[in-house]
Amino acid sequence: MSAINIRGVNKTYDGKVVALKDIHLEVEEGEVFGLVGPDGAGKSTLFNILTTLLLPDAGDIRIFQMDVIQDYKAVRQIIGYLPGTFSLYPDLSVQENLDFFAVMYKSSIEENMNIIEPIWKQISPFKDRKAGKLSGGMKQKLALCCALIHRPRILFLDEPTTGVDPVSRKEFWDILKSIRQHGITVVVSTPYMDEATRCDRIALIQNGEIIGVNPPQTIIQNFKGHLYTFKSDDIFSLLQVMEQCPLRCNYYPYGEHCHVAFYEDMETAMPQFERFLEEHQQPHSKITAIQPSVEDCFIEIVKEPINN
Amino acid sequence: MNALSMILKKEFIHIIRDTITLSLVLAMPIALVLLFGFTISTDIRNAKISVLDQSKDTQSKYLIDRLSASGYFQVISYPNNEMEIDYDFKNKDIKLALIIPPNFEGSLSKEHSATLQVINDVSDLNVASILNNYVRAVVQRFTSDYNDEIKQGDGNFDITVKMLYNPESNSVYMFVPGIITLIMVLVTALLSSITLAREKETGTMRMLLITPVKKLYIIIGKVIPYMIISFISTIAILVISVTVFKMPINGSLLMLLFLCIIFMLTAASFGMLISSISRTQVDAMMITMMGLFLPTVLLSGFLFPLNSMPMVFQVLANIFPAKWFILAIKDVMIKGSGFFDIWFYLLILFIMAVVFIIFSISRLDKRN
Repeated sequence: MSAINIRGVNKTYDGKVVALKDIHLEVEEGEVFGLVGPDGAGKSTLFNILTTLLLPDAGDIRIFQMDVIQDYKAVRQIIGYLPGTFSLYPDLSVQENLDFFAVMYKSSIEENMNIIEPIWKQISPFKDRKAGKLSGGMKQKLALCCALIHRPRILFLDEPTTGVDPVSRKEFWDILKSIRQHGITVVVSTPYMDEATRCDRIALIQNGEIIGVNPPQTIIQNFKGHLYTFKSDDIFSLLQVMEQCPLRCNYYPYGEHCHVAFYEDMETAMPQFERFLEEHQQPHSKITAIQPSVEDCFIEIVKEPINN
Repeated sequence: MNALSMILKKEFIHIIRDTITLSLVLAMPIALVLLFGFTISTDIRNAKISVLDQSKDTQSKYLIDRLSASGYFQVISYPNNEMEIDYDFKNKDIKLALIIPPNFEGSLSKEHSATLQVINDVSDLNVASILNNYVRAVVQRFTSDYNDEIKQGDGNFDITVKMLYNPESNSVYMFVPGIITLIMVLVTALLSSITLAREKETGTMRMLLITPVKKLYIIIGKVIPYMIISFISTIAILVISVTVFKMPINGSLLMLLFLCIIFMLTAASFGMLISSISRTQVDAMMITMMGLFLPTVLLSGFLFPLNSMPMVFQVLANIFPAKWFILAIKDVMIKGSGFFDIWFYLLILFIMAVVFIIFSISRLDKRN
């Protein structure tokens, strides 16, 4: 059974800014579904529509067969939502926030302890601390507790790991895995491509359009180019030089490395490329072939190679 | 614990933990009432005047004594003619001159009438009219005592101006109802609209909206705590007014408090209405200031009399709750009116509150 069924959803703000263009999506019950895309791609707009807080201009959305426009009250009963910005009361303590939302949902902490326990164990040492004084990771864990307090069938997480340190991010994803064991469908958006591999399936979204839905492994398998990485002391001048590269390729900085995806026969292209760098006096580390990440795949989809 | 009491508990935690706002809210009414009462008071004491006494008889002397003894006037010169009065105005800074006609006592006893002439410095209209009122009050008392003295049942002076309820034009009586109104508007409307707008701004409102809790509870939960605080402030203002400024409460205290509660409900619902149309706390604050606070000061009849305004403003004043409340509270505090005298005002305030609340609930869950 599909948990979410989105057909032909459009949303425009103020008649000008197009946020979503003809979105079609299907999310299966029990899966962890990722919505991956850069800032401003339309992820939060889609979340606001799915969580019944915003009306689409057109389209049909069903959550467990319920229409989010007509039956929004029923939909609200079965969804949990963790918004992109911290949306709990900063002057209330951890315990007070949780108690508050438990009562708002006519639920109780004890009843649902088995779901929230792995998270609660981590934040309960701080239960008397005011929510506004928690670290970024702790805030998100508390928000997750509050979103789960009524045992939702589907959980929406809008960029839950933005602004969270790498260790807490990893812990957060481990928690999501445990939530899933309770049969809760998880829809999560993230601008971090590395997190996408932890989802069962991901949808890549760019400029309000879905540009591909697949399991992360499939997306990586579909990578067409030959990906190489090397290090340069002066990435800036390297990137300027790369503009004149005669080969069909895509290049972009990746941390302190440069990634280049070639769309050529590498036996002849590689010596050519090394000569090109030498001619332009670009010292570099050894050029090694690597497996693409989801981010490389995303870039391949959205960016035309040069000399195409 | 049910949802409403949980929301109330949460609101009180917000209020108590925000100590700066809380102390401001509790101290402000007291500061305002003292400020208005003592400094912005339009009461004038010991105004310098000149008296041109053309009869110099017992009754004229007696009238001059009464003027000095009233405390409002200080007779600093006795000019001999009108030229000298002019000189006093220019050089001795007198605010008013009184001319007692020749043969004052004779006219009183024979014709039962006498004409006094008052010359005002109208460069400050307010001061002039207040001093005029004082002169009238003193003269009125003088004449009634005179009549009592000569035991003339029907013979009397024709004093046409009759000042009821506030014979001394004591300005505190005018200001206290106004300040109570201002405080209630500030505390209930401004604060409750800001706190609701804050929830919209920080996103907690969205979290609340997707819970199954009733929208009415969210609104009521915001309204009640600020009504309670505002009620405490009102009591404080009343206590100060009665003890420090000797303001009488002629009507029943219960009636007065009931009236205040109804107005607080109206003000708080107006606050909800404002926050339902504003997105941020700053929006809410600006709209409350322009849309509620200014009309309360200008169009309620608190500082400026409504019936001397252009018709447009007189009509406009009707849509702001403050006008009706000020009418009602003056009736209760000064005239001593009861429920059946002011039920119409109460009804208007209550209907406004209901309309505002219904409108804000319908706006709260707008999904676009």
